[in-house]
Amino acid sequence: MSGTENRRWVSPTVAVAGGRHVCTACGHDLGPAGDTWKDHARCREVPLRVAGGPAYDTGDDAVHLRHFVCPGCAVLLDTETAMAGDPPLVDRLA
Amino acid sequence: MDPMTFSIIRHRLFRIVDEAVITLKHVSGSAITNEGHDLMVSLYRADGSLLMGGVGFLHHLTSAAEACKSIIRRFAGDIHEGDVFLLNDPYTAALHTSDIYLVAPIHHEGRLVAWSACFVHVTDIGAVNPGGFAPQAPDIFSEGFSSPGIRLVRGGEICRDVLDTILNMVRSPEMVSLDLRSMIACNNVARDRMQALFRKYGTETVDAACATLIEQSESLFRARLRELPDGTWQSRQYLDVNGHTARVVLTMTKTDDRLIFDFTGSDPQSAFSINCTKWASLGGLFAPLFPLLCYDITWNEGVIRPVEMIAPEGSIVNCTRPAPVSVATVGAIQSVNNAACTTIGKMLAASDRYRDEATAVWHANHFAIFKFGRNQKGGYSIGILTETFAGAGGARSFADGVEIGGEIPNPISRMANVETVEGTFPVRYLFRRRAKDSGGPGQFRGGTGGEMALVAHKAPDGGIDYVISGKGARHPMSEGLAGGYPGAPNAYVWVHAQSDGTNAPVVATDGLEAIPGDKERVSWGVYPLKGRDALYVRWNGGGGWGDPIARDPAAVATDVAAGLVGADAAQAIYGVTLDPDGGVDTTATEARRAAIRAERLMQEAAE
Repeated sequence: MSGTENRRWVSPTVAVAGGRHVCTACGHDLGPAGDTWKDHARCREVPLRVAGGPAYDTGDDAVHLRHFVCPGCAVLLDTETAMAGDPPLVDRLA
Repeated sequence: MDPMTFSIIRHRLFRIVDEAVITLKHVSGSAITNEGHDLMVSLYRADGSLLMGGVGFLHHLTSAAEACKSIIRRFAGDIHEGDVFLLNDPYTAALHTSDIYLVAPIHHEGRLVAWSACFVHVTDIGAVNPGGFAPQAPDIFSEGFSSPGIRLVRGGEICRDVLDTILNMVRSPEMVSLDLRSMIACNNVARDRMQALFRKYGTETVDAACATLIEQSESLFRARLRELPDGTWQSRQYLDVNGHTARVVLTMTKTDDRLIFDFTGSDPQSAFSINCTKWASLGGLFAPLFPLLCYDITWNEGVIRPVEMIAPEGSIVNCTRPAPVSVATVGAIQSVNNAACTTIGKMLAASDRYRDEATAVWHANHFAIFKFGRNQKGGYSIGILTETFAGAGGARSFADGVEIGGEIPNPISRMANVETVEGTFPVRYLFRRRAKDSGGPGQFRGGTGGEMALVAHKAPDGGIDYVISGKGARHPMSEGLAGGYPGAPNAYVWVHAQSDGTNAPVVATDGLEAIPGDKERVSWGVYPLKGRDALYVRWNGGGGWGDPIARDPAAVATDVAAGLVGADAAQAIYGVTLDPDGGVDTTATEARRAAIRAERLMQEAAE
C-alpha cells in the first residue's frame, strides 16, 4: 500500500491511496478508487432489533442495520439503516 | 469603509437580533416559545435577502427571506413605515401554517432600507387537529388559516378587522393574540434599533457595511469549501406513517467552491401531512449547514449563493398544492435536516483539518405531541410537550454526544420544567429521565435521549386528549458516522389501565415496564389520556461515532453504572464484560471482542 502521506480520506475508516480504496486501520485493499468500496467489504445485514437490542425493537424486522466490515482486520467501516433491498449508500471522492 | 466602523455595525446587527429575541420571549406567554424556543428572528436587506440570521429554528432563515420577497412583490408601492405583514402559506414561503411569519419593513428618512422577520409556532391555527400539527388532514385546506400575505398592522395600528378574523378561526384565541402581539413587539424593537443605527451612521454607510458583510460571508464560505475534499456523499432517511414508509434520499456533491444538494430518488409526495414544499427543503438543508460549515461566518445571503438544491417537483421534499404539510417541520423538513447533517458530516470527516467539526446526527425525530382539553382551572389548554426540543447530541471524532443535548437545527432549543406542564394541564409526570441504551453505540457514544410517562390528574373531564404526529417510530433517524450506530428510535406507548376495580392513582418511577396495564404502540392521530391510563414516550438518542468495540471499556463501565447503557448492550454491542462489582473483566472483554471480530469475518463479501 502507499504511504499515508499520499492518502485522501473518503471517511475516517476508508482512504484512497495509489488509486485504490484501503482500510485506514490495516491498509487492506477495498477495490479501485472508481468502484464502490462497500462492494469489497464484508456486509452483515440484520434486523435492527438484533443489532441494537430491545431499545431498537420497533416491531418491524424489515428495518435493518447494515454493518460494513474490513475483511482484513474486522474493523467496522460504516453502518447504514436500510429497508431490506434498498441499495447501499455510495460515498466517493471526485 | 474603515474596518472599525464595519465591525461596529456588524456587531450592532447581532445585538439587535438578540434584543428582538428577548422581546419576543418576554411578551409571549406560551411554553413552546418561552421555554421550547420554537422561534426565530432575523434581519433582511431592502430587497428581502438575508442580512443577519438569528438563532432559533434555523430552517426558517431562508424561508423568511422568501416571505419578505413575496410581500415586496405582492404589496409593491403600498409598503409603509409602521406596517407589519403576516404570511403563513407553505406554498408561498412558510414551512407550515402554524409557524406564522410577521415581516416588517424598516424605513429611514422615508425610504425602505431593511426588513425584520420573526416567527413563533402559534398556539393554534384552526386546523382539523388542535395545535397546528394535523395528522388527520388530507390536504392543505384542512390545515387551518393560511395567507400568502396580509397586512396585520398599518402605520403602527393593528388592523382590528384582520386580527379579529384570524382569532375567530382559531382555538384559544387569547393565546394566539398574545403570540401575534409578541411578534409585533419583536419587530418593533428590531425596527427601532435599526433606525437608530441608520440615524447614527447614515444610509450609505450602513448599506455599504451590509453589502460588505454579505460579500465577506460568501468569500469566507467559498474559501472553506475549497479546503474540503471534492466528492459525493449520500444519506437516506425513512419516515413511516400508518404502515407506509417514505424515503428522503440525498446526494451531496461538492466541487471546488460549490455544493449541490440533490434529492432525486426521494419518494413521491405522501397522502399524509409529512410533506414539505421546496422553500421548506431549502431551509431544511441550511439548518445544519449554517452551524456546521459556517460556525464562524455570518449567516446571510453570502452563504446561500454557493449552494444549489435539486428537489423533484411532486416529491415528498417539493410537494405540490394541495398536499398536506402541517407536520412538515417534524416530517420531511427534519429528514432533510438529518440527511444534510449526515452528508456534511461525512465531508468534514474526510478532511484532516475539519474532521473534528464533523458530527453524527443529533436529535433526529421530534415527536410533536399536542395536549388539549379542559384544564384543572376550568379553562381550555393547548400545548406541546416541549420535551420534543430536549434532543440528544451526536457523537464526534473525539467525544461522546451530549446527553439530552438539544439539536443542531435549533441551537437554543430546550424543554419546559415538569411543573410548567403540570401547572397548565391536568396531568402528572410519573417520571422524566435519560433513556438507557438510547444513545447510538460507537467508539464515541451518541448522547442519550429521554423517556417520560404522564397520567391524568384532577382533570374535570377525566383527562385530556392529545394529537401525536410520531412518524418515524419504526426507523432510527439519528444516523451514526464512521461505523457508529444510529441512536435508538422513538417509542410511544398507550398504557391501558387494567380494570381491577380500583381508582388508586398510578405510581411508577421505574420505567415503562413498571407501569401497570396493557401496552399499545401509538404514533399517528388523536388519542385520549384519561382515567388511570398512561402515556409513555421515549425520544431518540444521538448517532454514534466509530466502531463500538473500539470504545474504552472503562467508559462502557461508567455508562453502565450511570444507567445510560445496559449490561446486556455492553456485552453484546460493545463487547465489554463487567464483573459483579461493575468493573471491567479485562480477560473476558478481550475474548468477547475477539469473538465479535471473528463473527464479523464470517460474513460474505457484500457484492
